[in-house]
Amino acid sequence: MTMTRRAALTGSAAALASITAGLPGLAHAQSKQVVVGTWGGDYGELLRQNIDQPLMAPQGIEVLQDVANADPRKTKLLAERQARRGTYDIACLSDTDMHMISAQNAFDTLETGRLKRGGAILPALAKTYAVPHIYSALVLLYNPSKVTTPPTGFADMWDPKYRGRVGFSDILYSTNTFAAAMAGGGGFSDYEPAKKKLMEMRSLDGRIYPSNEALAAALKSEEVWMTPMWLARGFMWQKAGIPVKHVVPKEGAYAIVFEAAVPRNSRNKDNAYAYLDAMLDPKAQVAFADRMGYLPTVKDAQLPAEIARQISLSEAEQERLRAPDYDYLLKSHGEILDFWNKQFKA
Amino acid sequence: MAALVLPAGLLVVMLLVAPMLLLARISLNRFSPTELMVEATTAENYWRAVQDPYYQQVLGTTLGVALGCTVLALALGFPAAYWLARMESRWKSLATILVLFPLLVGNVVRSAGWMALLGNEGAINAALMGMGITSRPLPLLYNTGSVVVGIVAVVLPYMILTLAAVIEGIPRQAEEAAANLGGRPMTVFRRVVLPLALPGVVAGSVLVFILCMNAYATPVLLGGPQFKMMAPAVYDQFVRGNNWPFGAALAFILLAVTLVLTVVGSTLLGRRYRAA
Repeated sequence: MTMTRRAALTGSAAALASITAGLPGLAHAQSKQVVVGTWGGDYGELLRQNIDQPLMAPQGIEVLQDVANADPRKTKLLAERQARRGTYDIACLSDTDMHMISAQNAFDTLETGRLKRGGAILPALAKTYAVPHIYSALVLLYNPSKVTTPPTGFADMWDPKYRGRVGFSDILYSTNTFAAAMAGGGGFSDYEPAKKKLMEMRSLDGRIYPSNEALAAALKSEEVWMTPMWLARGFMWQKAGIPVKHVVPKEGAYAIVFEAAVPRNSRNKDNAYAYLDAMLDPKAQVAFADRMGYLPTVKDAQLPAEIARQISLSEAEQERLRAPDYDYLLKSHGEILDFWNKQFKA
Repeated sequence: MAALVLPAGLLVVMLLVAPMLLLARISLNRFSPTELMVEATTAENYWRAVQDPYYQQVLGTTLGVALGCTVLALALGFPAAYWLARMESRWKSLATILVLFPLLVGNVVRSAGWMALLGNEGAINAALMGMGITSRPLPLLYNTGSVVVGIVAVVLPYMILTLAAVIEGIPRQAEEAAANLGGRPMTVFRRVVLPLALPGVVAGSVLVFILCMNAYATPVLLGGPQFKMMAPAVYDQFVRGNNWPFGAALAFILLAVTLVLTVVGSTLLGRRYRAA
């Protein structure tokens, strides 16, 4: 077969068009789009199934997910914060990360007039720079057949009976340090006692796993019996046949809120607000509760009784929960990470 | 003729030199938890990295792993390269492709394969426990050994191909002459083949050493959370710690150490080559 120059040119133009079709802002700059920076996995999939397809597509808005873990996306937001045009129209992050990036002036202050569902948000979770999407509580997960006396608090992880049986997820270094601080008599604004407790945990052969999934596998094979974790994860793991129960630690713990914000340099702000409204849709919220065990952040989402029983918190439990001290975490983040890496893991 | 270098040269300046200069500038800034980066001209990031026993240890581990992997790749690669270079059958091109084959699989995918093999519930442990040889899984993954195995598997093709290219250029008659004069195989190897192959040994070792010093995916995936080499430590500072100045300083320390050792190593070996 011979190929003329014209055919080759047409061919490469078509190839270029097909490559650029997926890129935001190049080929489709004129159509209605919203670029969402989010986690992949279950979270990204549930966004697609419950928000992108049923709620955004009928409005003629195409949703493009830019999938990565939180850390690289935070770095991207920080690197781009001076730029005129940013990558994301919506940034999804946990409340602590969101506060940190917001402190760098990377997000818009939300315009309540543009957010139709703003009034439905639970007042305790409302922020000026972000919308709460779902939330859960930090709990202590344990294997009831191995840990026969149900633990009551984080301090029980230091019982010598459980030497070598306590696991930690490496990516939750800040949360694990908090648990150690609380066990050592520290507080939301004082992680200092964690240092001593973490070194004690080292001599008790506490195990560290590279990801939540690796930790789940270790809980399943009963290699470890206890770990600080989000209640929602515990719910998912239970559904997957991993033998865990949970307790809201008596020392106190925090809630984790997964939030969404609009970067100041977003290029599709109207679509971004439409997306925030869709995230607050009661049906979408219930879907996240059903599959991932996270609690709705709006007043008008009705959970099925069975799910509510498994993931809701009693009033006594709720009293033990508080918001993290974001400013303290912002200032201490480097020190917490350094201690975790250099002393605890070394 | 010089214009022929222009496109590649321009690309390197734009994509490598410019970002490196920017990074060098960042490494002199100061980190602040609230403002992230404060404009400054200070060497304190370098000073802190050099003084900190933790980073000394990370650099030590990196050097140890890189040197170990280079020596291992050389020891394993030389016989294979010799065999490949001296091959005359029609299978030679197939053998070359087989050597290249591991490079067709990305580092991450390959590491995932090692994890499936070496993990607590991996194939080896399942087989050992299934046959009743061990009662508990052996800790095969997440240690220096698994990282070395993983990296050597990545770099071996580079070593073999570099060596084979040089060995092919050594006339077979030189070996035959040495054997004819009564040289035993080991003597022929030591006195004739090895000195003549030394440029290949230097080139292969330098290439492999640089690759090992900068390894990222393999140490992260096979070393586990408690194993640290320099490249993952740099990533940690940028992405987890948001401390760009310190991360940039670590990156330049890694670059400098690699550069100095590469130059010193190849000069020493080169001198030995001239003496021989």
